[in-house]
Formats: sequence, C-alpha cells, structure tokens
Amino acid sequence: MQIYLPIAELSMNLFFLIGIGGAVGFLSGLFGVGGGFLLTPLLIFSGVPAPVAVASVTGQVAAASTSGALSYYRRGGIDLHLALYLILSSTIGAMIGVATFSWLRSAGQLDLFISVSYLLLLGFVGTLMMIEAVRTLMRRRAGVITRDKLPGQHTWMHALPMRIRFKKSRLYISVLPVLAIGVFIGWVGALLGIGGGFILVPALVYLLRVPGNVVIGTSLLQVVAMMCVTMVLQALTSQSVDIILAFCLMLGGTVGAQFGASAGKYLRGDQLRALLALLVLAVAIRFGLTLVLPPSDPFSMALIAGGLK
Amino acid sequence: MRRALLALTLLFFAAPASAEKLVSTVSNANVLITSSFDGASLSLFGNIEPDTIDGAASGPYNVIVVVTGPLQDRVTRHKSNSFGIWTNTDQVNFHHFPSFYAVVASGKLDVIATPELLAEQSIRAEDQARLAAQSAGLKAERFGLELVRLMAAENHFTLREDGVNFLSDTAYSVNIALPSDVANGPFLVHTLVLKNKELVAERSEGFAVRKAGFENFVFVASRQQPLLYGLVCVVLALGTGWLAGVAFRR
Repeated sequence: MQIYLPIAELSMNLFFLIGIGGAVGFLSGLFGVGGGFLLTPLLIFSGVPAPVAVASVTGQVAAASTSGALSYYRRGGIDLHLALYLILSSTIGAMIGVATFSWLRSAGQLDLFISVSYLLLLGFVGTLMMIEAVRTLMRRRAGVITRDKLPGQHTWMHALPMRIRFKKSRLYISVLPVLAIGVFIGWVGALLGIGGGFILVPALVYLLRVPGNVVIGTSLLQVVAMMCVTMVLQALTSQSVDIILAFCLMLGGTVGAQFGASAGKYLRGDQLRALLALLVLAVAIRFGLTLVLPPSDPFSMALIAGGLK
Repeated sequence: MRRALLALTLLFFAAPASAEKLVSTVSNANVLITSSFDGASLSLFGNIEPDTIDGAASGPYNVIVVVTGPLQDRVTRHKSNSFGIWTNTDQVNFHHFPSFYAVVASGKLDVIATPELLAEQSIRAEDQARLAAQSAGLKAERFGLELVRLMAAENHFTLREDGVNFLSDTAYSVNIALPSDVANGPFLVHTLVLKNKELVAERSEGFAVRKAGFENFVFVASRQQPLLYGLVCVVLALGTGWLAGVAFRR
C-alpha cells in the first residue's frame, strides 16, 4: 500500500515504513539509544531526500524514546535532576550545531564531514564499548565478581569545582563535566541528525559513573527533549520535517520500543553493552567501506538546496 | 518599411511550408496528488488539419511530443580516489534543469527530423543538459551525459521513439507516465509535426501537478506556519509515544 509523503514529494510503501520504524524502535527500547544513526541512513538508502530523512527521523526517535522513557520512569529508572542539566546544556549545543551545519554546507564539505565523523565517532565509541564489555564478560567467566557500577572511583573530574549532589544516581560531582557532555551531545546531534544516545550512554557510564539502573532511562529522557528541540529547529530552518513520514515511522517505532524495553530486562548490562557495541561498530564499518571501496557508480546527482521551493 | 518587407518575405517563404495546423488536448489539465498517489498516466490527443478551408492535410506526418517538468537546480558530482578514500572531487552545476523530460516520437529521431531541427529545438535530453550546464567544454558535456543517464535511471527522463499511436493518417494519441516522485508544478507539452523531416506545425500546451486536500494542507502549513507545524510534530511524537506506553502498560 503506497502512501504519499507531502514534504518529501514521493510515495512509499506504508508497511515498509512501519516495518523499519518497528525494527529500529525495538533496538532503541533495548539499548536506550534513539536509533537515529540507523534509521537516517536506511531512509536515505530507500530514496528519501537526505534533508527530509534527517529532519523527519527526529519525530520517530522522540516518539520511540517517549514510550521507552515512560516505562523506565515507572520503574524508577530516571534521574530527573541529572536529566534537567543535560537537557538545558544540550539545547545550547543543538543551536551551535545548527549554525555549524549551515557553515559547513556553505563551505561545501558537509557530505565528507558527515561520513568521516560518523566513522570516527561510531568507530571510537564502538571500540571502547566493545573492549570494556568483553573485559567484563571474560572476568565474569573467570569467576571474579564485578559489579555493574563502579562506585567510589575518583577521576580528575571529581576534583572540579561546583559540585552538585544527584541523589538518584548516588553521585556528588562537579556540574562542569555534566554540562560539557550535554553541549557536545547537542552539537553532534544537530550536526549529524542523531539523538546521541549511543554517545550519551557510554559517557554517563564511563565518565560520570552513573549507575546502570538509571543510565538508560536518563539517556532516553534527554534524547526525547533533544529531539523535540531539533524537530522545531528543523521545521523553522530547513522546513523538511515530513509529518506523514514521521508518523508512519512512529507507529512502528513506539510498538517496537515497548518490546525492546521488555526484552532488555532479560539481558545483563554487560551483554547489552556488548550487543550495542557490535551494532555501533557495524554501522561504523559500513560508513568506512563506502569511503574505501570503489563506488558502483562514480557519478551521483543531487538537488541543490533551496532549488525546490 | 523594412520590417513590412521582411514580413512579406517571411510570409512568402513560410506560407507553403505551414499548410497544416495542429489541434491537440491533454486529458487532464490538473494532476492532483492525494494520499494514495502512486504516479499518474495521462494522454495527449491531436489532429493535424489543413490550415485553409480548401486545402488538404496529406502525410505522411511524423510527430514529436516533448514534455518538460518544473525546472530545478541540480548538481552532478564525480567521486575519485584520493589517498585511499573515495570522495566527491569534481562537480558541475545545472541551473534550471528539467525535473522531468519525456520525448515521445513516431520514429527514430534522426530518421524523422533533420539534425539541424533537433539541435535548434533542443529536443534531445543531452541538449537540455548542455543548456543548463554552468560550465563549458568537455567536462560539462560529460557530466551532462551522466546526469541524463542518472535521471533516466530514476524514470524522470524517457525517450520513446515508437510511442505515438496514429489513429488515422492525421490523428494520434500519446501516453505519458509520471513517476510517483514527480516534482510538483507546471508541465509544458510541446508538440512538433514533421513532414519530410521539416517542421510544418507545432503547438504548446500545459498541465499542472499539484497536491490536493490534506497533502496540500500539510505542505502549505509547513511553509507558512513553520513554528506551529514543528510544535504539532512534537505534540504528535510525544502523544504517540505516550499512547503506546499506556497501551502496553500491564
């Protein structure tokens, strides 16, 4: 069944859209990531114009993360205090990101920048997560009992001023690294059209030592807020948010996220992290291959932005 | 005086050649896009008639129909390998390039028309690329050919040299298929009637592709009320997420 997307100005199969929305939603519920880094390339590959894909995916990510965040909230898995700081700083980061985006576009290097930063970011984060997860898994097999959270480990970050107590996370840390992480996530998210959950989760775990039971919920809440801000910014600037496309993706995504969140209860934290690391690395390798392998068609065409009004 | 003379000369030379005129019509003046739109097909009907009452239109005639969609700015890029990484290294911009271009003829173009006529009327898609290219020389030529190839691969450019269906010696019909991702806007249909490889009559008409109903409402809203549109998207996203959360609550 075909459905016409009025902003993308093409028609697509409704069940295909709901299907990929559902599949990505399942992963987002499972890992607490938005799933934008999977869905955006999928849509572009299916023929949706890149600006429309980047802008509309924000709607799907927000919806899938909302239902995920709600189920974590009911289980008490969100540190609202910490989320508030992250949301405020990432909003500022998103505004800087939108400005950087238009600057890069005018410099003509946007495509290359996006490919290379996807590769570097996903590759770096994926490798780190993989190493950590494998180490934990091996230690567990060797019979050494480790705890999911690493309490009491003081890094240089804990020596910074302006310390704040985050009760739910049982943390008493400086607010500066929290804000820095938020600004960075917002900046990267607006630039690459992703929620940033797959960077935020490891950042919260390894940098801030947020305990495992509140990491995913807090990250999801931050992604919801971040995506809502980006959606409004995109609607205002590029005007390429396709509400029909977003809604089709949401329908599948929200349902998928519910199943993902329940499936997540049957897996241990380190197993989840190893799986997420595999996923992130796979996408990074995919981006890397397009840079390294000879393309099937060396020629490509694109609409010049602003040419279609 | 000179102008009158020129006109007279033109009349003298032109009169015997244009003893025919063309009447034609497009089946839909408006192609409306609704939620289930999956491409459209429309027909063009025409008849070649004598220009004067006592004259007679005698063939054989050949017909070329050129359908041009809304103009867009496009860029064609070429990837090459530098330091082991494939990146876009070269590009040519094409300004006011057709988003849709269909040529339907009653025979092989170079058989039914003179090369001069084809070039003068810019009938071939490659000529359109040449006109739109923002640089000159071999590079523009090559990138233009590649652009036409890419557009043809997406069914936006078509060339059918046996697509004119003659109902009689002078009456014909032509089918035109629009893809589902057709650009919205005005389309121009230019019909040329040829006899002995020379142009004897021509006619231009048009039709429009536009969104209707809810699709049009959404598009207009996103352009005229972007803030409100963005906020509605946010509410929709949060609402859908919340609803799914409630529905699955056990």
